[in-house]
Amino acid sequence: MFLALRDLRRMWRRFALVGLVVGLVAMLSTVLTGLADGLVRDGTSGLRALPVTHLAFAPHSEAVFSRSTIDERSLAKWTRVPGVEASPIGVSFVNAASTDGGPSIDLALLGVSPGGFLADRSDARPPAAGLPGLVLASELRDEGVKVGERYRIAGSDLTLPVLGFTFAGSYGHVPIAFTSLATWRSISYGNDARGRFSAIALRVPADVDVAAVDRAAGTETKTKTEAYDGSPGFSAETATMTLIRAFLLVISALIVGAFFTVLTVQRTRQIGLLKALGASSGYVLRDGIGQIAIVVLAATVIGAAAGAAVIGLLDGGPVPVELSIGGVLTSAALLVLTGIAGSLVAFRRITKVEPAIALGVEA
Amino acid sequence: MSTSDPAGDGLGLRGIHVAVPDGPGTRTLLDAVDLDVAPGEVLVITGSSGSGKSTLLAVAGLLRRPDRGEVLVAGTPTAELSERRRTALRRERIAIVYQSANLLPALTAREQLELVGHISGERRSQARGRAAQLLEELGLAGRADQLPAKMSGGERQRVGIARALMARPTVLLADEPTASLDGALSAEVAGLLAGEARGRGLAAVIVSHDDAPLAHAERHLHLAGGALKAITTVAG
Ligand SMILES: Nc1ncnc2c1ncn2[C@@H]1O[C@H](COP(=O)(O)OP(=O)(O)OP(=O)(O)O)[C@@H](O)[C@H]1O
Ligand SMILES: [Mg+2]
Repeated sequence: MFLALRDLRRMWRRFALVGLVVGLVAMLSTVLTGLADGLVRDGTSGLRALPVTHLAFAPHSEAVFSRSTIDERSLAKWTRVPGVEASPIGVSFVNAASTDGGPSIDLALLGVSPGGFLADRSDARPPAAGLPGLVLASELRDEGVKVGERYRIAGSDLTLPVLGFTFAGSYGHVPIAFTSLATWRSISYGNDARGRFSAIALRVPADVDVAAVDRAAGTETKTKTEAYDGSPGFSAETATMTLIRAFLLVISALIVGAFFTVLTVQRTRQIGLLKALGASSGYVLRDGIGQIAIVVLAATVIGAAAGAAVIGLLDGGPVPVELSIGGVLTSAALLVLTGIAGSLVAFRRITKVEPAIALGVEA
Repeated sequence: MSTSDPAGDGLGLRGIHVAVPDGPGTRTLLDAVDLDVAPGEVLVITGSSGSGKSTLLAVAGLLRRPDRGEVLVAGTPTAELSERRRTALRRERIAIVYQSANLLPALTAREQLELVGHISGERRSQARGRAAQLLEELGLAGRADQLPAKMSGGERQRVGIARALMARPTVLLADEPTASLDGALSAEVAGLLAGEARGRGLAAVIVSHDDAPLAHAERHLHLAGGALKAITTVAG
C-alpha cells in the first residue's frame, strides 16, 4: 500500500465525503444498537431481576406466560429434584384504577409464593406473606404513587392497598407489581383456581439434566435469557431494529461500492501505469481496496465513538438505552466488513484495465 | 545492423502485425514489422500522428499483444508467455518514458522512484538509496521531496527518466519524451535520455515527433503505412 497511504495523506479531501457518510452511518448504527439494547433491557428488566436461572412453562407456550398454565403436579416433580429450588409464579397484565380518582396504571402482576425464594427481598415479602396488597416497582413511586393508596383491579372485585416498593423493573415495558400467589389466583381465576399458576421459577444447578425433568414433569423449560423471547413486543422490537441495521449495512456497502467504482474509473490511467510499471493486478487491488478499507475503518471508528457518546448522553433520560461494548464493536465490525465487500464491485474493473492505456493506446 | 543477431540481450520484433477496427473494416497499423535493437543502441522512430508509433511501443513493451508476431526481450520469446510472466518480464526488463512524464500526482520525486522498487519487492532501504543516487545523478537532488504539481515540465520529464532507470531495465522505450518541452529544454532532455541509455548499455527506442532526439541516435527509422523505413544510419 505504498501508493495508497501517500495518496490518502495528500489527497484526503477526495475521501472526505465518503468518510463522512460512512461515519454517519456508523454513528446511526451505533445509536440504534444502543436503543435496541435499551428497549430489550427495558422490556425484560423484570425477568432479568428475578433470582432464577430457568423458567418452566407448559409445553408449546414458547416462553409466553399468558399461554402457559402449570399445576402442582409438575411443580412437585421439579421440587423433588435434588439441588433444584422451584417456586410457582403467576404472571398477568392488569389495569389498576386508583380509588381516590388518581390515574389508573398498567401493571405486570407477579403472584409469588409465601416463603419462596422469589420473595427473598425484604421489601417484597409482605404480599408474599399473604397480606393482600401490592408491592410495586420503584419506578412507580417516582410517578407519584404512594404507600397506602388503594387500587381496584379491573375485571375483578378486588381492591388492593399499596404496601411498598421494591426494585422490580418491568416486563414487556409494563412496571411489575408483586402480590401473593393467592391474591394473583383470585384475580386471574376467581374462585376456580384449582392450584393453577403460569410457570415455575427455578434455580437449577449446572449438573441437572433439565430435559429429563421436563419429560417427567410435562414442562418446557427455558433459560432466563431464552425466556426473554416470550416477553411481549420482544421479537417485534428486535426484528425491527435488526431490519433497520441491516438496511444501514446495505446502504453503507452501496455507498462505498459506488464511490470506489467512480474512483476506479477516474484512476484508470493510473492503474494502467502501475501495470505498465510491472505491478500485478493483485498489487493494484491490494493498494486500492486497502485504501478504501482504511477510510471505512477510520470513519467507522470515529462514527461509532460519536454514536457511543450520543448513547451516553441519552442514558438516564426518558428513552431507554444501553451501551454494550460488544454490541457497538459487533455493529462496527459488520460495517467495516460490508464496506470492504462493497468495494469489491470494482474488482473486475481494476483487473480489466490494460497496461497499454498508459501509452494512450487501446489494447 | 544486427538483423542476423537474434536480439541478443536487446530487443527484437519478428513479423509484428497489428490491425485495429476502423469504421466498418480494419486498418493495418503494423504490417510484418521486424526490428532489432542492440544493447547500447539508441534508435529513433518518427512517423505522422496516427501512424502507430505508440502502438509499436506498446507491443515492444509487452503492454499489448500483437495480432501476430514475436517479441524477444533480452533473447526471451514472449508470445507464448502467460500474462503473469509477461508482467514479470515487463517489471524486470522494460522501462518506459512517457510523453509529459505520466507521474503519479500523489508521490514526490523520490517516491516515484521508490514505488518502482516497492513493486518489484526491493528492500525499502535499498530502494531508498538507489532512488537518492539516481536523483542526484540526474540533477534532481534538490527536488526529491517535490510533488509533480510543483515541478517544471523539464523536471517532471527528468524524474520520468530517473523512474525508468530505477527499474534497471534492459530495454528503454520512450514515447515522445520531449513533445511537451520547448527548444533548448527539449534538446537537453533528449540528450540526457540517449546518454543514460547508452551509458548503461540499454536497447533504447525513442519515438518522436520533433527532431530533438535525432542528434543523439545511432539509427533513425520512419513508420508509415505499417512499415519501418531506414532514413539514415549514423555510425555508432
Ligand atoms: N484498439 C484500437 N481500436 C481502434 N483504434 C485504435 C486502437 N489502437 C489504436 N488505434 C488507432 O490507431 C491509430 C494509431 O494509434 P497510435 O497511438 O499508435 O498512433 P501514434 O503514431 O502514436 O500517434 P500520435 O503521434 O498521435 O501519438 C490511431 O488512429 C488510433 O486511434
Ligand atoms: Mg502516440
